[in-house]
Amino acid sequence: MLQMKNISKVYQTEKVQTHALRDFDLNVDEGEFIAVTGPSGSGKTTFLNIAGMLESFTAGQYMLDGVDVGSLSDNARADLRNQKIGFIFQGFNLIPDLNLFENVEVPLRYRGIKSSERKERVMHCLEQVGLASRIKHLPQQLSGGQQQRVAIARALAGEPRFLLADEPTGNLDSLMARQVMELLEQINRDGATIIMVTHDPELARRAPRNIQIVDGQIADFTLYQKPTAVPVASVAGA
Amino acid sequence: MFFHYIDLSWRSFKRTPLITILMVSAIAIGIGVTMTSLSVYHMMSMDPMPHKSDKVHAVQLNTRDEGSTWWTEDDLPQQITYQDAVNLYRANVPAVKTPSFRTGYSIHFDDDSIKPFIENIRVTGLPFFEIFDVQFVEGQPWTQEQEDNAEMVTVISRELSEKLFGKESAVGKQVYYDEHLFRVIGVFDNFNHHIKYYDLTNGHFNSHERAFIPFSLTVPLEINNWGNTNGWKYQDIRTFEDKLQSEQHWVQFWSQLDNPQEFQAYQEYLTNYLIEQEEKGRFEREAPSFGTRDLTDYLDYMGVVTEDNRVLVAMSFMFLSVCLANILGLLLGKFLKRVPEVGVRRALGASKRDVFAQHVVEVSMLGLLGGLLGIALAQLGLWGVRTTYSYYSELATMDLTMLFSAPIIAISACILAGLFPAYLVCKTNPAICLKTQ
Amino acid sequence: MLEIKPIFNSLFRSKAGAILLVLQIAITLAIVSNSLSIIKDRMDYLQTDSGYSEQDLFQISTSVFAKDTDLLYLLEETERTLLGMNGVVNASFMREVPLSGSGSSSNFGNKPLDQNESEDYRSVNTAYTTTPASIFDTLDMTLIEGRFYTDSEVLKFNGDGGDLPTQVVVSKHYLDEIYPDGDGLGQFIYIGNSPIEIIGVVERAMGPWPKSNRPLNFAFFPIVDATGSQKFVVRTEPDMREQVMNEVEEVLLAQFNQRVIMNIQGLDDAKREYQASDILMLRMLVILIVLLVSITALGIFGMTVFNINKRTKQIGTRRALGARKSHIIRYFLVENSILCISGMVLGAIGAIYLGQMLFEHYSVPAFSAMYVVYTAIFVLIISLLSVLFPANRAANISPSIATRSV
Repeated sequence: MLQMKNISKVYQTEKVQTHALRDFDLNVDEGEFIAVTGPSGSGKTTFLNIAGMLESFTAGQYMLDGVDVGSLSDNARADLRNQKIGFIFQGFNLIPDLNLFENVEVPLRYRGIKSSERKERVMHCLEQVGLASRIKHLPQQLSGGQQQRVAIARALAGEPRFLLADEPTGNLDSLMARQVMELLEQINRDGATIIMVTHDPELARRAPRNIQIVDGQIADFTLYQKPTAVPVASVAGA
Repeated sequence: MFFHYIDLSWRSFKRTPLITILMVSAIAIGIGVTMTSLSVYHMMSMDPMPHKSDKVHAVQLNTRDEGSTWWTEDDLPQQITYQDAVNLYRANVPAVKTPSFRTGYSIHFDDDSIKPFIENIRVTGLPFFEIFDVQFVEGQPWTQEQEDNAEMVTVISRELSEKLFGKESAVGKQVYYDEHLFRVIGVFDNFNHHIKYYDLTNGHFNSHERAFIPFSLTVPLEINNWGNTNGWKYQDIRTFEDKLQSEQHWVQFWSQLDNPQEFQAYQEYLTNYLIEQEEKGRFEREAPSFGTRDLTDYLDYMGVVTEDNRVLVAMSFMFLSVCLANILGLLLGKFLKRVPEVGVRRALGASKRDVFAQHVVEVSMLGLLGGLLGIALAQLGLWGVRTTYSYYSELATMDLTMLFSAPIIAISACILAGLFPAYLVCKTNPAICLKTQ
Repeated sequence: MLEIKPIFNSLFRSKAGAILLVLQIAITLAIVSNSLSIIKDRMDYLQTDSGYSEQDLFQISTSVFAKDTDLLYLLEETERTLLGMNGVVNASFMREVPLSGSGSSSNFGNKPLDQNESEDYRSVNTAYTTTPASIFDTLDMTLIEGRFYTDSEVLKFNGDGGDLPTQVVVSKHYLDEIYPDGDGLGQFIYIGNSPIEIIGVVERAMGPWPKSNRPLNFAFFPIVDATGSQKFVVRTEPDMREQVMNEVEEVLLAQFNQRVIMNIQGLDDAKREYQASDILMLRMLVILIVLLVSITALGIFGMTVFNINKRTKQIGTRRALGARKSHIIRYFLVENSILCISGMVLGAIGAIYLGQMLFEHYSVPAFSAMYVVYTAIFVLIISLLSVLFPANRAANISPSIATRSV
């Protein structure tokens, strides 16, 4: 599903060259749930940005679902992001001017889906995260956990095969964090591949596969585990 | 604290130079445009004799048939006929009153000492000098006796005196007006008002006459007026005598009425006079109609402030409002972006009032900068006006009032625009901004 | 794909800024369209053809102060002196000079005054002058009907007024007004009860007042009445006017020095001076419009930049969620168009209201809605252009902003 070969990323400032990633290799199969950990500044976010085509890379090859990303135009990348990738950000990144419904609708609009179908999908996703009753609310009227669930709903709306989560629980307390984690596991069971960057060792441990990035390279492969069913508390009840 | 706020404002300007330049230019251009048209308006609408403009009245008589129209709003001609002027001048009513009209002669000494030149000359009665506060620097006006005897005497302005006689005293000197030899008996201080308020029938801002001669010379010298002569019915006018007896309007008439009693008496006098004249069959009117506007009203009535200028003033203020909306929008953005910083200040103990004051000082600084720049732009604008229309050279200037008004208007405008954003900033609960981010 | 509804909602939620921009656009539209209407009116007036080749003509006034002068002889002698100057084509006495702002006008009837009760009695105002026969050549007039009067038909007086004229040459504009049926030639106009025969019609001749409501009504009477103050109009060969004007005072004083020579002025300059206040108004309005549109454009620009700065993160997020660059640009263009169009609706109402106010209180032309349409299109283009640059910048915001945490 995702293959990175010898990917490097160099940030060039006036005097200093920073190697954010060097000779980075990674293979991800369909249906995996990977937790990426590592110290601050190790290149976790850079990896995620490159994986999500938010940023270009300096050297190497990146194949996503059989497509060579390096050769794509800006528009093609935008379309690919839109169709295959769902993002969950640490800061939620809901659009403050839009209400919940409109926020979830954003990726569908860029895909040019008809209004009636959009409505159906948005409602379905919001139901999944248990916020269907609050579609008219603005993001700032929700708690942090609720906002993150909206963000997840938005990521799901496009039915992506590939979900990238950047510290999805970083701004949440542990109870909320657990609920969000459970939601992600549910999504993974439903078939989506997930890569999650996190600081939290406990959360990382819940993921079947762990990668640690140190100094722009993969430091250590933990044991590969087959995805296993983890008991899930009622997702909607949070 | 005030200086601290100024310092803060300055830092804020430096932090967002582009937005600051945008806002200062907007207010400067707004002020520049407004001040350009407002300065001209201010000069046009100035009261030339503030101490007595309510006592000096322009007399208008409607000695035309009912139904005759004229371009004034009330169909009253601005000038009166010669016969009416003589009658009103001689009338036995308590008022200081005088007829007056403009003529002109070639001035020379009947030799080669100066090159002859044409000069506008005012023909008027002795009371003119009292009504319009003409100050004499040498000699005096002619006496009533000299006027009654139609003596060939003249008074001239200091400027003309210097032109004709240099530093020598003009009084007692003789000068030719065309072929007529006149004796100078007085020199008056130059009129220095840009509005020619005592005669608005030939251009409101024309230069003032620099020589005056007695009204009683009109008949013996057959003095023709230089200016508008308006008839309203067909009369066969061939000789000067015909013109004096005619119904043509060509003489201005002024009356100074010092109190309400005099004003009342004068109204009654005019009413009776017009009834009497109608009975002579000169014209047919249902009711006597006349005007005794005081000087301020009369200037307004005569349209001294041009329509174009009024339109421009109105449009410039709308323009200024666009500039304000502009600034308001930018301030709104700028101040709201600062809410977190304000939150920290509030948490550190700044009161709402402190925060408000800080922002008002900042917008006032913008206003001051914009105002000063606006004055410069207005000077440029007024220079443009003077270049396009030399006739406005006296008008298209900024006097002290305008010079001080510019920054005051700019600052008030900026404060007005800044109040709402400043209020929004103050209203924000400091806790909210500390929590997020 | 236009995101009109969410844009609307988002605008509605940050109302203050949006309202301000709408107001700005509205007032701009109102002022600019009305100014354009006034400008058009003044341009038409300033460009009215006078019928003269103004650049080859100049006027000159003399004022005689000597006693016992034969003024009529002096007048004709002055004409001859002018004609003798190198570069002069022709020169004529003319009591009222065209385009100069000073002259005479009067009503003349199509019937004697004692028939003014009659149903088809008409009395029409025209500017007029008294002038010798040479004037038609001096002003280079085009005769379209009848004939010019000749020198022998001109009545000459030495300052003592005297007889009324019996013949007149009129401009076509006047003829068409006093005799609308086109049969005016050979008919009469009346001063009181005295008839004057219309013997000739010139194609176009502007009177002394370009701004009057009948600027092209003009009548020439064959009278020369010499008084102390005399005006002349001189036509020179092309490019010779400057030189003749420089020399003329000296030449005339050499011929007779008991007089003052003044007002030596080209007719084009005289006209420009007469029209200076309108030229001034025109320039002021043009400057006002230019500044106003720039200020509004800068305002739109500034607001868009602000909005983009405020929304950097959300733009990054949108990009991350799959928005193309063109989507982002379109978003801002659509947002701006919504504001612009609301401003225009408001502004159109304002413009028509302002137009009516101005029309009621001032002598400006009736306001035509067409100006609103033109201005609206213009303002829309300007406003979209002002958005384009910042929107482009917004489109280049990197989607990786979205993963940055502050």
